[in-house]
Amino acid sequence: MTKVINGSGKIILIMAGLLVAVLSFQLPLSEGAMKFRYITSVYTDDKGLGLKQPEGVACIGESLFIVADSGNGRLLRYSIKGGEIELGTIEIKVDQLSYPIKTEINSKGDIYVLGRKERSIVRLSPAGEFRGHLQPLGLPSPAAYVVRSFAIDRNDNIYILDILFERVLILDPAGRYVAQIKFPDEYGFFSDVAVDFRGAVLLIDGVDGMVFSAGKNSARFSPLTSSLKEYVRFPTSLTTDDRGRIYLADRNGASIIILGQDGSFLSRQSGMGWKEGSLNYPAQMCINKKGEIFVADTMNSRIEIFELVE
Amino acid sequence: MKIKGINLGCVTLFSLCIMSFLIHAAPVHSANEFKLKLGAKGQTCLKCHETFNETLKSRFVHPLLKKGECIGCHLPHTSSHKGLLKTDKAKLCYNCHKEVLPENALSSHDVVVEGNCGACHDSHGSNNRSILLKSGSQLCFDCHKDVGETVSNVRFTHKSVVQDKGCLNCHNPHASAESNNLLQKKVPSLCKSCHKTDQIVFKRKHMDYPVTDSNCNSCHNPHGSNKRGMVFDVAHAAVVEGKCTECHQKPTSLETKKKTNQLCRDCHQDMVDQTFSKNRVHWPLVDKVGCVNCHAPHATKEQKLLKGSVVKVCGRCHADTVQLQEWSIKNPENERLCEPVKRGNCIVCHSPHGADNILLIREQSVTTDLCGRCHEWETHSTHPIGAKIIDNRNKNLTVECLTCHQACGTGNNPAMLTFSTTHELCIQCHVERIK
Repeated sequence: MTKVINGSGKIILIMAGLLVAVLSFQLPLSEGAMKFRYITSVYTDDKGLGLKQPEGVACIGESLFIVADSGNGRLLRYSIKGGEIELGTIEIKVDQLSYPIKTEINSKGDIYVLGRKERSIVRLSPAGEFRGHLQPLGLPSPAAYVVRSFAIDRNDNIYILDILFERVLILDPAGRYVAQIKFPDEYGFFSDVAVDFRGAVLLIDGVDGMVFSAGKNSARFSPLTSSLKEYVRFPTSLTTDDRGRIYLADRNGASIIILGQDGSFLSRQSGMGWKEGSLNYPAQMCINKKGEIFVADTMNSRIEIFELVE
Repeated sequence: MKIKGINLGCVTLFSLCIMSFLIHAAPVHSANEFKLKLGAKGQTCLKCHETFNETLKSRFVHPLLKKGECIGCHLPHTSSHKGLLKTDKAKLCYNCHKEVLPENALSSHDVVVEGNCGACHDSHGSNNRSILLKSGSQLCFDCHKDVGETVSNVRFTHKSVVQDKGCLNCHNPHASAESNNLLQKKVPSLCKSCHKTDQIVFKRKHMDYPVTDSNCNSCHNPHGSNKRGMVFDVAHAAVVEGKCTECHQKPTSLETKKKTNQLCRDCHQDMVDQTFSKNRVHWPLVDKVGCVNCHAPHATKEQKLLKGSVVKVCGRCHADTVQLQEWSIKNPENERLCEPVKRGNCIVCHSPHGADNILLIREQSVTTDLCGRCHEWETHSTHPIGAKIIDNRNKNLTVECLTCHQACGTGNNPAMLTFSTTHELCIQCHVERIK
């Protein structure tokens, strides 16, 4: 069907075209409109004993999560359903772990925990039984290392942030050495490592406020962002979601910064405070399969749970 | 409006830009700009400004004044700038003296960058070379008092500081394209201009170690010290005793015997063991650089061989926190600033090597054990605080000093309060007061 369009019709069409152009131009920016919606907080175990300055939290599947209750020297395993914490919290306490600060869980449910005092990674069964310290096998010289942090990818490979010899060590699920990625020549101090869904390894430099990345099979890190000091004060933890977005916990700035896959700034969420939804010294974060974001709100002695609303 | 396709607005804007450029880029003065009578010039000014007759008798007089070209810098009738200056005082000198601040400068004198030339020079004339306000190093010491005190009080003085051109023997007064600290050349090239490193006496004094290309300032205070050889006043015992082999291999190289904190541990075993028994070791202590992240291995002017003042060393990584501290100090309303914060003495509250507590705080209870050392917290106010008082917002927290105050400073908030007003602070808990 053909229609004759008169002068004013043309103008309307042109305006509509312009509007579409403007809207489509703004589409990538619309991610900036994302917002945290507070769901709930976790304060205690089943017996009513309060968390004490927890620094770690790891997610499993859609409902389970494990908290590194650092100040109490224990792990706690929780289940969340419909925004409510279910009864039946399991306390995991092992002698080899006096001050847990970061925890990760692999696809088989095995729990890996970094102890700050021991500066080593402890392996626990899904039920929380001690299975030994992670001792990398076949490390090339120099074989010594100091674990600042670690991450586990979707294939259960383990990434150790070694601040002693300035590298990330990559181990297979059995702990055998696979590869290492050297730190860049110039950096401030790396405090956390994460692996995104594509296998890219990410580092956060809290001193310079920069994120560095190394693609799969890369031998060296390069800057993903320039300094983010405009948005952050002292970011020390990072994680990614299944769309590759990067979440930074700004410890001193008491907020969560969200970056795009390419490192572009998208949003800054939450802020300093004691009320629910606020943060004070956030540390490890994790994101479960439902997209719920768990944050170890260290100085508020609780875990906060949010969802991302776009 | 358009004329033959040319936007008139653009033309106007362009014209304004050109005019503005011409006004600002014009020579300092044009020939007889003010239509002065023949021979008038400065003589006319001096009729009223008689004091400059004396200035003209100085050994060194600004060439414009000498020529009677007062209008080189001043407008005779009106000006928007003090002293009837032609432009802003901070920019005026640069109209002619652009070269004092080269674009590629590695370091530049703050007063030069600020355009505060009058801090060192008398703009009209003086009896000192380069129309300086004072002669020799004394001019520098007026601001750099610590260096002045060092030079006049130390047992062993660096001859270069007191001879000939004084400070200018090593430093450029305005900027340096070669080095930091306004040095004429990088160290050790600068030092080697006078000190011959190939002489036997030099090698013997350095225990035959190949230090020719090392940073001399890692041991020697270039301004002088009380220790022989101008070694910094605070020196590592092994350096003072000449026991280089305690840490280094034989004099064939400068390599250390061990790396990281392992090297220091050999002597400082107790301290390292004590630190490593804590829940939290300060991460830089266990990285590749280890102890020398913060400490100078040889000598320094700071206590405990720190690489700088405490706040400077901590601020290298924790710049965001130190910035808050700096703002807090500058805030005139912050009379009740905590003393350690005021002095930038972070280690009064934080244990720099390691601690059992979060934030490397020295004591488990902030209120009673840490703040309570200086503040009588039980008489602080009528507000109940302490380990038994539960925060009504979160039963895992107790009401402590840090519930209301931020211990490292809060920038512009008074009394280091977390919020800018007392009202805003109180309603965080006392919600009923809002109603």
